[in-house]
Amino acid sequence: MTAPAILHLDLDAFYASVEQRERPELRGRPVVVGGLGNRGVVAAASYEAREFGIRSAMPSVRARRACPDLVFVAPRMDLYAEVSRAVMAILRSATPLVEPLSLDEAFLDVRGAERLLGTGPEIGEMLRARIRSELGLAASVGVAVTKMLAKIASDSAKPDGMWVVEPGTELEFLHPLPVRRLWGVGPATQRRLANYGVETIGDLAALPEATLVRSLGEAAGRQLHALAWNRDPRPVDPHRATKSVGHEETFATDRCDRRALEQELTRMADLVAARLRAHMLVARTVQLKVRFPDFSTITRAQTLRSPTDLSAVIADAARTLLADVEVERGVRLLGVTALQFDGGGAVQEALPFDAPAVAPEQGALERTLDAVRERFGPDAVGRAAHTSDGRVRTDRRGSLWGPDEQAGE
Amino acid sequence: MKFRCERDTLAEAIGTAQRAVAVRSGALPVLSGVHVTAADGTVELVGCDLDLTIRVTIPAQVEEAGQAVVPAKLFDGLTTRLKAGTVTFEVEGEDARISAGPARAGVRLLPADEFPRVIEPEGTTVTVDAEPLAEALRQVIPAASRDDARPILTGILIMATPTGIRMVATDSYRLGVRDVEGVGMLSEGQKVLVGARGLNEVQRVFSSGQITVTLGEREVRFANESRSVTTRLIDGEFPNYEQLIPNGYPNKLTISRAELEEAVRLMQIVGEGREGTPVRLAMSSAGLELSATAQERADAVELIEAKFEGTDLTVAFNPQFLLDGLLAINGEEAVLESMDPLKPATLKGADQPEFLYLLMPVRIS
Repeated sequence: MTAPAILHLDLDAFYASVEQRERPELRGRPVVVGGLGNRGVVAAASYEAREFGIRSAMPSVRARRACPDLVFVAPRMDLYAEVSRAVMAILRSATPLVEPLSLDEAFLDVRGAERLLGTGPEIGEMLRARIRSELGLAASVGVAVTKMLAKIASDSAKPDGMWVVEPGTELEFLHPLPVRRLWGVGPATQRRLANYGVETIGDLAALPEATLVRSLGEAAGRQLHALAWNRDPRPVDPHRATKSVGHEETFATDRCDRRALEQELTRMADLVAARLRAHMLVARTVQLKVRFPDFSTITRAQTLRSPTDLSAVIADAARTLLADVEVERGVRLLGVTALQFDGGGAVQEALPFDAPAVAPEQGALERTLDAVRERFGPDAVGRAAHTSDGRVRTDRRGSLWGPDEQAGE
Repeated sequence: MKFRCERDTLAEAIGTAQRAVAVRSGALPVLSGVHVTAADGTVELVGCDLDLTIRVTIPAQVEEAGQAVVPAKLFDGLTTRLKAGTVTFEVEGEDARISAGPARAGVRLLPADEFPRVIEPEGTTVTVDAEPLAEALRQVIPAASRDDARPILTGILIMATPTGIRMVATDSYRLGVRDVEGVGMLSEGQKVLVGARGLNEVQRVFSSGQITVTLGEREVRFANESRSVTTRLIDGEFPNYEQLIPNGYPNKLTISRAELEEAVRLMQIVGEGREGTPVRLAMSSAGLELSATAQERADAVELIEAKFEGTDLTVAFNPQFLLDGLLAINGEEAVLESMDPLKPATLKGADQPEFLYLLMPVRIS
């Protein structure tokens, strides 16, 4: 039987490992990359930190409590993106069929490369070795016949290992695993499945599909049943298109001033629009995300009259959505996402009536801003609405995982 | 209530009246019905959604006068499928019985007393020719917006001119302007904003003969002996469109309207299902080259003979918007004039100065 040829490669503790590589004094120490403030969250934890039970998405305060010697590092996304590009370049040297899932993981289909480079497992070891020697980073690899199984296998391979699911042993490997290891099984689904006595993927596989469909709905029920039997027909898609471009921030203190929130939205819309233009995308839908102090979260979306890459249009839609949200009890997190992309970066311009919502010059203006920022840095120019104390405020680095500054009491 | 009439007459009347019936969810349930009144040798059918009212009166043998509200979709479906010939309509308790030849159908009625009293405008009534009005409406309506979020743009601006009226419609991406000579439905200096949906019915219902126009404070009514369409006026200021219409353009393309239409339809197939895929028009002395590309899906290109005066230039449009314009203009030849790829272009029928279609390009990166 031929060797499996779908690979899932995942860099171990990526952000933290990059920081340890860049700063030798951090090596061997518990390091967390994430929001530094007391409302921040952990974006990545080094293996040393994980020994203290620290995981990503954990509030920074809890992480510090778990390990007083923890070293907090502010994220440097530009650096991680650069390292990620180098990783993806190594992967693409093996096959053009590379489907990046995020900065630090990707699927590969190496069937076409076997004659030149060896079997799937051999290519997996080769890629791991090259990433270690050329970039100084540890990667784990799962090798299997489906994407789903390869991803589960790479998780089992961590840290710094490789796990090959030999053909014929797929279900033997899969069925004893806890059901939460399956794609699409979150806490809610897990609770619902527990009602049927389902704990392992094997328990799930034993349930009739009809029962799952009744309990979870048509799509989810069918999908889980198929995955439990390792039926995952999705091919590795190197052109998998970006589905959304968004930006969200947790505030240092809960905000309840609508005007201030609107200003934040304008600023975030600016960032989202610039990224849309950079990727030559135009979005048809704008989504607003609001998290309240009790962590309850709502999203509201609006479809635009025509697709856009302009911050004025995105900000306008986001503010309209915010108008229907009760902010008086406070807002912990605010986010703006643009989605539903139309191809080609073609934008239907509007007729220039004398008082148009968006002047056609707006497009030219925003592209000029892009060019200025490209050349002189993100703080070089901004909107008057975002200035405070006569200074321009733009994206605060690392704000995705909470503000850096300590909240003033 | 009981009456007899010709099936074809009744079916046509229901089909017309039901076009005003409220279809959106959340509307008053009774508005999903057609209101039927039988009296004195006529039957009147009314459809109404509070913005638009259509009345149709047909001759009938009325045995017993009365009124009822019949669910429009059922009424229409059943009547059109009955045998041709005489139809008998009779109310029995809560149901209407409709029969023709050997076929009988029953429909549960909606409560007639809940049907709103239809307000008719009060004001001076003028008589105009239907045909030029209908043709002008046919040309401008496609440019009007269908997006209820922008109510003003769902209307057609109708304004008095020294020699008649002018109609203007825009959805903010294209604009139609039509001058109509001799249709004196407004007094000097008057202008009104009328819902395009209602005017579309006016255009369908009254294609010939003479009609009366009654302009009230809040509604306008178009009517002949047997039919009327009443639609609400829209409040608000129409965008200032006049400054958009340039006096002259440096680049002028003259081309067969039918050939351009066929080519645009071809380009449209390329982007089907991918809204926003533009058609590119490369104009030069060699003619017009149309092209469209939907990445990893399809592409197409076509060169059409055309007369071009000006500097070579490429402009991209939403193919549907361009097509709407080509179908709106009249004449064998179309004239497309433009300034540059980011300024509005105009489309006209050659030697057809009364109608202008202004179209904003698609920006391509």
